[in-house]
Amino acid sequence: MNAKTVKRQNGFADLGRRIIKSSSFNIFIVLLVMCAIMYIVSEPFRSIDNVLSIARNFSAYAITGIGVSLVIISGGIDLSLGSVYGFAGVIACMAMADLGWAALPSVLIGMAAGGLFGLFNGILVIKAKLPPFIATLGTMSIARSLCYILTEGYPVTDVQERFLFLGQGYIAGIPTPIWMMIIFAVIFAIFMNQTVTGRRVYALGGNEEATRISGINVNKIKLIVYTLCSLLAGFSGIMTASRLGIGQPTSGIGFEMDAIAAVIIGGASLSGGVGTVTGTILGAAIMGVLRNALVLLSIKSHWQNLIIGFVIIIAVAADQLKKSSGK
Amino acid sequence: MKKFLTLLLAVVMLAAVVSCSGPGTDAPAPAEETPAETPAEPEAPAAEEPAGEEPAAGDKKDEDITIVVIPQQLGNVVFLPAKEGAEDAGRDLGINVEWQAPVKADPTLQIEIIESLIERQVDGIAISCTHPDAMKDVLKRALDAGIAVSTYDADSPDSGRIFFCGTENYEAGVICGEHMVELYKDSTKDKIRVAQLEGIPGAFDITARMQGFADAIKGSNIEVVYTGACDDDVDKAVIVVEDYTRANGDSIDAWFMAGGWPYIVGPDAMPELKKWKEADPENRRVVTMDVFPSSKAHFDLKLVDVAVGQNFYNMGYLSVENLYKYIKGQEIAGEEKEGFPGKFISTGAEIVTQENYKEMIPDE
Repeated sequence: MNAKTVKRQNGFADLGRRIIKSSSFNIFIVLLVMCAIMYIVSEPFRSIDNVLSIARNFSAYAITGIGVSLVIISGGIDLSLGSVYGFAGVIACMAMADLGWAALPSVLIGMAAGGLFGLFNGILVIKAKLPPFIATLGTMSIARSLCYILTEGYPVTDVQERFLFLGQGYIAGIPTPIWMMIIFAVIFAIFMNQTVTGRRVYALGGNEEATRISGINVNKIKLIVYTLCSLLAGFSGIMTASRLGIGQPTSGIGFEMDAIAAVIIGGASLSGGVGTVTGTILGAAIMGVLRNALVLLSIKSHWQNLIIGFVIIIAVAADQLKKSSGK
Repeated sequence: MKKFLTLLLAVVMLAAVVSCSGPGTDAPAPAEETPAETPAEPEAPAAEEPAGEEPAAGDKKDEDITIVVIPQQLGNVVFLPAKEGAEDAGRDLGINVEWQAPVKADPTLQIEIIESLIERQVDGIAISCTHPDAMKDVLKRALDAGIAVSTYDADSPDSGRIFFCGTENYEAGVICGEHMVELYKDSTKDKIRVAQLEGIPGAFDITARMQGFADAIKGSNIEVVYTGACDDDVDKAVIVVEDYTRANGDSIDAWFMAGGWPYIVGPDAMPELKKWKEADPENRRVVTMDVFPSSKAHFDLKLVDVAVGQNFYNMGYLSVENLYKYIKGQEIAGEEKEGFPGKFISTGAEIVTQENYKEMIPDE
């Protein structure tokens, strides 16, 4: 065995140790156990169609979760994302139905509308010095109210046929939303790990004062994360509008809690500085598998939220226990 | 910055107050009107006198009368035709009609709205109750304050309200169940297995429909094997129906949707249900509550067998019209039913089938 082979083997061993030590690995094990149990007890769970359906259903949570994970890692919180999700979907559909716009510009204007709310959130946090909880609680109400004002409560129909591809289409046999989730996951994993701004988001969440003293423009970072968060929530809302073929003013009510839950299950800390894009995707997958399992196993609806609540607690507690035992 | 924010807040609040002042708020304040006006004794109020009160606005000018219509939830499309009906009635009668909707289906939010309306001394309230018992006390208080109160869509019979306007939810469920039995009358199968979809678990109106359905199929070979909840969320409704159909499509014969959430979207949003139904349209049946313009596309593809609509437009229109009549001391429509307090104004049930859907469902 030459030195090169030994070095390579050590490299693999290091990588293996790093993967096992990462918080995402714990979450991955939880997901794996859930899938294994479902694989044994439910035959329909095993079908490719079902697996693709689960992934398609949780892709909206995952994409929004990526956005809110940036905010949470930076030490903030965004409660407005459910309303922004609905608002962006309504704007995109109205651009097509009322203004006759083509699908692509409608999607872009919807995303821009969502992004503007993020920018507004950022300004409220950095200029008006509002706590993120309060600022985004306010914009949550504003965005939802605008949905009702613009639509008068009616769903927006008459969307372009091409628009449906985003939510209902397939590329190489895989639903488009899954591709979107993968693309966003890769982009934001690189952003968070390989770019200076991404590393500064972690620094900001870890210790804002130290980050400020070290000369980093923390306001700029906050503005970026809130805008990106709303941009992604807006995109998810548009994707859901495309999947249903309508823009609903009620879309996304309570969605923020599910997206935040996915991020927390994925190992992020609400006190900031900790979290990964991979963990968020796994957290969203756990919630997706769980919801699917409850329907497949014909579990009475009354029990479903109770079970989801326990799984959230168990997943996060297991992660915390492992972290504390590793110290 | 602080000064700027304070100024901004003041401007926003002022603008909100000015822009939200609808016709109803132009009505004279209670303090101004009470001493000046003697409430007229209604000539022939057809319903029982609520809680010993008499209509307070009998001699008011029409343009000063305000009736508020309250749905269960803002953004629930089911109630939008009721809004149109109520507003049309308001225009026809020359009175003020307001639509006050809670942001979610929650009795406490409806109670808050009614308490505010008691303070405002509006003339009439028509409400779809999120829960009959939770609403009865506040509705009694409104009646005691001289406000004419009626219910539509979902009743609160013990509140003392003047009349209920709508289709009884239980009866609507029975109609769905009877149609399900009819659809399978020639079936040779020993058991017909039905999956059903509900909204928020325990919601009174939907539970009544499911009970009606269960009672109607009792004694037949039809059995409910699954109940999925969608929390009144269209997206969740689609996911639940799709997931269950994909997993258990071969072991169920029919779907009963206790509310029409899945039919607000187009057929392409539910490929699994479409595939399941098209695979054996004569033996796989779908019966649903509610009819929307968007239901037509599902009927076109023969994806729905029977839909039971509730004519919410008439609920809105007739509620306002009959509250107005009551306030004016005129006789209201409706019938007396044994064991049913007040009057029952039936808006009937629209039974939409493959044979009549083109005439029954308007184009979007």
